[in-house]
Parts: sequence; C-alpha cells; structure tokens
Amino acid sequence: MSTLIVIDQPPYGTWAGREALDMAFSLAAFDQSVSLLFTGAGVNWLRKSQKTDGIEQKSIEKNLSAAPIFGVKAMFAEASACARYGLTIENMLAGVAIAENSSNLLHQYSHTAFSG
Amino acid sequence: MADLETPARNNEGFLENAHEWTPEVASMIAEADQISLGEKHWEIIEFLRIFYSKHEMSPPSNRLFVKAVKEALGEDRGNSIYLMQLFPGTPAKTACRIAGLPRPTNCL
Amino acid sequence: MKPIATLHILNKAPEHSRSVECMRSLRAGDALLLTESAVLAIATTDVHDPNTTVYALKADVLARGLDDCASETHLVDFPAMVDLTAQAQNIISW
Repeated sequence: MSTLIVIDQPPYGTWAGREALDMAFSLAAFDQSVSLLFTGAGVNWLRKSQKTDGIEQKSIEKNLSAAPIFGVKAMFAEASACARYGLTIENMLAGVAIAENSSNLLHQYSHTAFSG
Repeated sequence: MADLETPARNNEGFLENAHEWTPEVASMIAEADQISLGEKHWEIIEFLRIFYSKHEMSPPSNRLFVKAVKEALGEDRGNSIYLMQLFPGTPAKTACRIAGLPRPTNCL
Repeated sequence: MKPIATLHILNKAPEHSRSVECMRSLRAGDALLLTESAVLAIATTDVHDPNTTVYALKADVLARGLDDCASETHLVDFPAMVDLTAQAQNIISW
C-alpha cells in the first residue's frame, strides 16, 4: 500500500493544502508509505525564504521541511511547473526531486489523491 | 514570590502567550503535573524548542513526536516508553505544554 | 500620481481561469494589483505588459518568498493599496 498526495493548489490560498499535509503526516505516523507531488501552482509550496509575519500564518516552507523527519518517503515537483515559476533545485526546499513526467508517477502508487 | 507567577494558560494548561516561556516557567508547569525536571527532561524540551523554531509546528501526534525525537537523538530516547516515563500522560502533549509550544494538533 | 483608468484587483493564482480572463482584459492606462495567490504571477512571464503598471501586496509577496522576483513590480502595503483604489476611475475585483 503506497499513497501519493498531489498538491496542485497555491500555498496560503486555502486550508485544503494544509489538510493534505496533515493527512500525509498522519499516514507517515503509522508507517504507511506516503509521498507528495507538487504540480501547477502547487510547486510554489516548495520555494525557499517564505516570510509569513505579514500574513499571520505559519510558514508552509518550515512546516513542509518536517516531512522527511516524520517519514514522508519522497517529495516531487513537476518539471514544467517549476520552469514556469522559475523554480530550480537551488531555490527549492532541500530533498525535493524534479519529476520530468508527473503523469507517469500517478500510476505508480496504489492510491493517488488530489488535495482540495 | 510575586514575580514568579505562572503566566496565563488555557484550559488544557498550554501557555496563552508563547513569549512568556522561560526555563522557570517550564519548571512551574511541570511541577503542576508532578514532574520534577532533570537533565533528561531538559534535553527533550530543548529538542522541542529547536524543532518548533525550524518547523513552526509542534509534532502533531505522539507517534510523530517519538519519530522526531528518534531522528534527532537516536533510538535510546526516541521510543515511547522512555518518553512516557519522562512525560506521563500523552508524552507529546505533556512535553509540549512544558516546553511552551502549542498543543499538538492531533493529540486527543 | 497619474490617474488609473481601471484598477484590476486580482487574488487568483495564474492557473485560475479568472486570472487568464483578467490578463486578457487589461488595457493601456490600466493598473493591475495582485494580492494573495495572484502574486505568484510575478514569478512567471505572464505579467510583463509594458502598458500596465503592476502592483503587488508586499505581505503576500514576502510570504511566498517572491521578493527576488519583484524587480518590475511595485510592492505596496495596505495603506498604499487603499490609495490606489482611490486613484482609480473604475475598479474590477476579479
């Protein structure tokens, strides 16, 4: 049993994405294999140096950086979305792999769920 | 001592204002739980405060608390029996309360 | 400050259909004010029309780590945002 959670919504816009993250952490807590795929505007979750004091929300970047510690298997970012938003390995969170063909990924998990 | 009064806490004993936390406050919160803080407790408290500054969240559940401690401090400390002995009840909840962190979101 | 014909206030991410619609509706002399998820547009090539002045809410830009992308964008705070709305003859909230 392996799960892929797909985040295609931008950060901070709605609570749906944070709920997806909670779900990923909960699966990891019970040692279920879970990975995250960021596509579309969702890749912006991964950008470094988010400074959230002005919007009174917790930093998604910092929350997300706990994923490997909690046992989330992998984090993927769709290559074309990264290119569109000027994201590279250098300005993204550590530990993210760029997925050239994300639609292939969707078929490799026993359960794939889109957030939001 | 009037200047060592415990700052305001919510109905579950978590600090209303995280900025009011000091090591002395931690000791007072622990005492109210009949815990006398020793070196082993402080190691975990310090770990939790660093964890919060890096990730802006408390470990959301007991299991993830144990995992995070194991990742940072090894298996000797990152196991539920060890943490249960130090922080009775729900260890994540008890430890976060003493460390001045917000309540873990998934601890009932 | 020069008057703004129409101020377009957009809070939708570039992927949103309404964002696409908004970009298509921009005319010379208009200004675009990006807030919330819409500020992500400054990381893309979507908003580089020389005829339109682009403003973005600073708090939302900083939250998303986009300060490095903001060289062609005027960052505004809340009071400046209110001033912009006062300068505009018309406002469209997308």
